[in-house]
Amino acid sequence: MKKYVSAALLLLMVPAVVVLGATVFRDKQYAFVSLAVAVLACGAFFLSFERRETGPIRLVLLAVMTALSVAGRLLFAVLPGFKPVTAMVVLTAMYFGGEAGFLTGALTAVLSNFYFGQGPWTPFQMVTWGLLGFVAGLLRNRLKASRLFLALYGAVAGVAFSLLMDVWTAVWIDGTLTLSRYLAAVATSGGYMLLYALSNVIFLLLLRKPMGEILGRIQKKYGIT
Amino acid sequence: MNAFSKVHPGVASVYFLGILLFSMFVMNPVLELLTLLGGLLFCSSLPGDKKGLGGYFGMILIMALVNPLFSHNGVTPLFFMNGNAVTLEALAYGAAMGVMLGGVLLWCRSFSLLMTSEKLVYLVGRGCPKLAVVLSSALRYVPMLKRQARRVERAQRAAGLFGPDNRADRLRASLRVWAVLVSWSLENGVETARSMAARGYGLRGRTNYGNVSFTLRDGVLLGVVAALSGGVLAGLLAGELAFSWYPALVWREPGPLGAGSYVCFGALALLPVCLEWEERIRWNYSRSKI
Repeated sequence: MKKYVSAALLLLMVPAVVVLGATVFRDKQYAFVSLAVAVLACGAFFLSFERRETGPIRLVLLAVMTALSVAGRLLFAVLPGFKPVTAMVVLTAMYFGGEAGFLTGALTAVLSNFYFGQGPWTPFQMVTWGLLGFVAGLLRNRLKASRLFLALYGAVAGVAFSLLMDVWTAVWIDGTLTLSRYLAAVATSGGYMLLYALSNVIFLLLLRKPMGEILGRIQKKYGIT
Repeated sequence: MNAFSKVHPGVASVYFLGILLFSMFVMNPVLELLTLLGGLLFCSSLPGDKKGLGGYFGMILIMALVNPLFSHNGVTPLFFMNGNAVTLEALAYGAAMGVMLGGVLLWCRSFSLLMTSEKLVYLVGRGCPKLAVVLSSALRYVPMLKRQARRVERAQRAAGLFGPDNRADRLRASLRVWAVLVSWSLENGVETARSMAARGYGLRGRTNYGNVSFTLRDGVLLGVVAALSGGVLAGLLAGELAFSWYPALVWREPGPLGAGSYVCFGALALLPVCLEWEERIRWNYSRSKI
C-alpha cells in the first residue's frame, strides 16, 4: 500500500511542478521546472532502490564505490577537471549494474559538494552523473567486452557531462535557453570538456583491468556471487 | 554555536527551501537585495572562514558587465560597441542576476555550514533507511580513504616506487596508489558488511539513534515560516511582485498586498539573524541575573 501511495505522490508531483512554474515562478519557469524535475528524478530512483531487497554487502560496496569517487575528486583536486569520478561511476555500473551506477553518481555529487560547495547545480550534477552511470549499466556487456567501446563511452560521457551542465548554466541565467548564451557557456567550459573526456578515457583504460581483477578476487575470496 | 543550528533539521530545510525558491525563481530586485542582505548577515554570524565574502561583490560586478554582451534587448542604449547597443536594461538585469547568484551562494554556504552531514543522514533516514546507510557509510569512508591513501603513498615512497619529478611517472604512481586503495577499501567494505550482518543489520524491530527532537519552539518556527511564505506567495500569485526588465524597466507600485509581501519576505530573510539576536539578549539577560 505504502509503495503505491509514494508512487502516486511522485506522479502527481510532476503536474504540480509545472503548474507552480506557470503560476508562481513565471519569471523563470523553465529553470524552476528543470530543477524540480531533476530533484524528482533522483527521488524516484532513490524510492525504487529503497523498495528492493538489498543485502548489507551490496549496500556497503555501494558506499565504498561512492566514497572512492568522492575521495578521487579530492585526491586529484590539484588538477582541476582531471578526476576519476565518471570513471568510477561507469566501473560501478559495469560490475554492479545500472541502478548502482545511478546511485554512485548521484550520491558522489551530493557528498563531494560538501567539500566543494553545495549550490543550485547540485541536483543537476546528481542527475547527470546518475544518468551516465545508468546508461553505462545498460551497456555493461559491451563495455566489458571491448576496450575501444569503453574508451569511446568515457569520451562521450565527458563531453555529455560538460554540455548538459552548460544547458543548466544558460537556463539559470536567462530563464530560457538562449543560443548565444549557451554557446558562450560551452566555449568557456570547452577546455574542461576536453579534460573531462581525456581523464575519463585515461582512468577507464587504466582502471579497467585492475578493477576487474580486484572485484573478481573479492567475489572469490568472500564467496559473493 | 549559532541559534539556528539548534533548529530541527526538517524545519531548517523547509526554511532554506523557501528562501532559495523565492530568490532563485522570482526576478524582483527588492527580493534579490533582501536575499543578499539576509545571506550576508547570516553567513557572517556563522563560525568559519569569512575571507571569501568580499569575492561575491566582484562576481556581481562581472555579471552586470558581461550580460550586455549577450543581451541587446532594451530601449535605453547607453553606447554602441561593434554596432551592438549596450543597454541600461541589460546592465540592470545582469546586476540583478549577479545579486541573485551572490545571495543564493551565500545561503547555500550557510546551508552547508548548518546542515551537517549528520543532520542530512537523519533526514534521509526518516524516509529512506537504506539510502541513509549508504550515505553515512560513504561519509565515514571518505576521511578514512584519504588517510589510507597517504599511508599507501608513504609506503610506496619508502619502497622507492615513486619516480623522479616526471609528470607521467607521478601520474602512474598516483594511479598505483589508487588501485591499492580500491582493493583495500572494497575488502574493508565486505568485512564491514559481514560484521553488520552478524550484528543483525536488516532484522525487524531495529531502531535508529537520532539526537534530534521536535520541540515546541520548532513548531512555532515552522508556523512563522509557513505564514511568512504564504504572505510572499499571495503577493506573487496576485502579480504584485512582478517586475519587467525588458524592453524597459517597469516597477509595479505595490498595493497593500504587495507591500505586505515585501515585508513578509524581508522578515523571512532576516529570521536567522533575529533568532541569533534573541539568543544573545536572552544570554545577557540571564547573565545579568547572576
